[in-house]
Amino acid sequence: MANTQTMTAEATTIEPPKFLTGAQAIMQCLVENNVKTIFGYPGGAIMPTYDALYDYQDRIKHILVRHEQGAGHAAQGFARMTGRAGVAMVTSGPGATNLMTPIADALLDSTPMVCLVGQVKANLLGTDAFQECDIIGMSMPVTKWNYQITDPNEIPEIMAKAFYIAESGRPGPVLLDITRTAQADFMTQPFVYKPCDEIVSYRPRITPKQSQIEEAAKLINSAQKPYIFAGHGILIANAQDELDQFARKADIPVATTLLGMSALPHNHPNYIGWLGMHGNYGANVLTDEADLIIAIGMRFDDRVTGDLSKFISQAKVVHIDIDPAEINKNIVATAPVVGDAKEALKALLPLIKERKHTEWVAEFKKYDDIEFEKVSKRDLFHDGDQIKMGEAVAMLSKKTKGEAVTVTDVGQHQMIVNRYYEYMKPNSLVTSGGAGTMGFALPAAFGAKVGAPDREVIALIGDGGFQMTIQELGTIAQSGLPVKIIILNNNFLGMVRQWQQLFFDKRYSFVELQNPDFITIAKGFGVDAHKVSDRAELSGELDKMLAANTPYLLEIVCEKEENVFPMVPAGASVSSIRLE
Amino acid sequence: MTTYTLSIFTTNTIGLLNRITIIFTRRRLNIESLTVCETERKGVSRFTIVIRHESRDAVEKLVRQIRKVVDVLAVFGYLDHEIVFNEIALFKLATPLGGTPLDIKEINLDWNAKVVHWGLDYVVIEKNGTEAEISEFYQYMKNWEILEYLKSGRVAVGKTEKGLVEYLPEADWETV
Repeated sequence: MANTQTMTAEATTIEPPKFLTGAQAIMQCLVENNVKTIFGYPGGAIMPTYDALYDYQDRIKHILVRHEQGAGHAAQGFARMTGRAGVAMVTSGPGATNLMTPIADALLDSTPMVCLVGQVKANLLGTDAFQECDIIGMSMPVTKWNYQITDPNEIPEIMAKAFYIAESGRPGPVLLDITRTAQADFMTQPFVYKPCDEIVSYRPRITPKQSQIEEAAKLINSAQKPYIFAGHGILIANAQDELDQFARKADIPVATTLLGMSALPHNHPNYIGWLGMHGNYGANVLTDEADLIIAIGMRFDDRVTGDLSKFISQAKVVHIDIDPAEINKNIVATAPVVGDAKEALKALLPLIKERKHTEWVAEFKKYDDIEFEKVSKRDLFHDGDQIKMGEAVAMLSKKTKGEAVTVTDVGQHQMIVNRYYEYMKPNSLVTSGGAGTMGFALPAAFGAKVGAPDREVIALIGDGGFQMTIQELGTIAQSGLPVKIIILNNNFLGMVRQWQQLFFDKRYSFVELQNPDFITIAKGFGVDAHKVSDRAELSGELDKMLAANTPYLLEIVCEKEENVFPMVPAGASVSSIRLE
Repeated sequence: MTTYTLSIFTTNTIGLLNRITIIFTRRRLNIESLTVCETERKGVSRFTIVIRHESRDAVEKLVRQIRKVVDVLAVFGYLDHEIVFNEIALFKLATPLGGTPLDIKEINLDWNAKVVHWGLDYVVIEKNGTEAEISEFYQYMKNWEILEYLKSGRVAVGKTEKGLVEYLPEADWETV
């Protein structure tokens, strides 16, 4: 009786809620940010937000992944195609820890990402509650910014800030840890969303200082053998046209880094290849002869520089980067320029003289010929029975006219794709560069397809990496996204095997795989799948794959013990590059 | 090894201490002392961190990494001659019946220290000064039985005419 009375009393005193719940506010913020697709996986602590999502399905498409890591990499793939923050939504505890790898990957590769992570109720924080985890503490070293939301009223401001921080300056991942209470409670004030465009403690410099530009121009105009290193910053800043004009006007050879790949089309007169451990012969060796390096939006990673003490020590350096912490970090800059790559190139263009460096540019060609004779010829034109990864990629490149988006995993095949896919369109390579995350490609590929639905997206994956996120075949099948998947299967963890062969006396320690039947597995997931091991059938199989307008997997059985060359041994100088 | 003092101004946010110290940990840098306090600007905290390092270049890189943290407003690195700095030490001394009596006059006048608390059989003495002065005083204090000795981190202010005001103008920041 007493019970009934209480209930009636409560029912009459509760006023209808006037304001949004925190969860509804989160949804509203996504809509305000023009977020159309999110990648996620539900669970206890994020359930109020998933409940709010139920009413927002007409405005926000949710792609249900099979593992939180997949949500993170998919958000990365989306971000790399669009330049906008990819959104991943997961629950607390293991849901959040599973997202750590993509977050770390996104930080190293400057990829904008907003991670919405559930957290236990505020009153349970610090009590070792079910699925509680100190995700703020854990994610601190790998996020650009993170924040714990305990009050629903904070949501509009913090969400706006999260997107601004993720996408502006040098992009990066942001994590919001949202307590279940902050999601479920009602706001006590009306929802007002104001996009963030300034934070007093965070003011990335976009327009470079004129004095720095003039100093750089002076060096460029007086250089005899200038050499441009074009990095990911070019693509992030959408500065490929400015790079093209700049390179043509001053007639400077341009090499890209791994992530800068496709900043210039492959047939550009000034494009001479790529830098780094498995980069091109001339591109690496001639760093020793340049008198000026113009590094744009790149960070002199150890995979590019080799032995730092011997790298470009003869040259002056113009270093253009939006992140002041990159200046003088690895290589001392003679003329640093802090700013956005596009703005910097725009400012430089009128100041640089029109020049010709015909002989210098031609020098790279000589090395290309040697590289072709010693490496490419062996990879592309051979009469062995087995398919080589190189010829498969080169064939794919021809058939797609170099216009597809390639999403690669990590290892030998990744290097081979960069060697033999001839990119004709900017922003066409999605790969895990800094972190080298195996398992990246499959989820990143469907994220990329969401970001660029009109482009052909082809994931190229090794047999090892494929098995790290193989379950995402289910996501691809369920979403119906027409992603093409090529497994370059050599039955080995090929890159590690190559190192063991070259540097560990061929002691093959746990690198051979007993693989499952990929075709049966793919078909089990509902993805059309075919296998090719005969060279004569490769072309036809690729055609079939490209003609499909549904998800499609093609397993290409490759030569087992193929090595990737050129190769700069780890820690050696780039001039000690090996061709065999 | 050179001593560097870093003055870091940040917005007052939970967890920021952690975000700053992990930058040191990751580079295997040992923090000699750390002091955090509020400033004359509302919502602005000041970290004073002392480190020893042989490479100025490495310290400059460290400063740039700290500056990169979103909630950090400004970072300044100083050598000792560029700052006025101080620490505070407390000594808890046993003063049993029949023990050597304290020379309060000497402690006050010669050592510029003072007794801040008288217990039944112990006293607490406070000494302000640089690390060197405190360590010298410590030697003198060893004439008695030291029950506890502790020392704060360094507080330091730059010997420039510029103050925080220049970096955080009042237009943006309310004063406390």
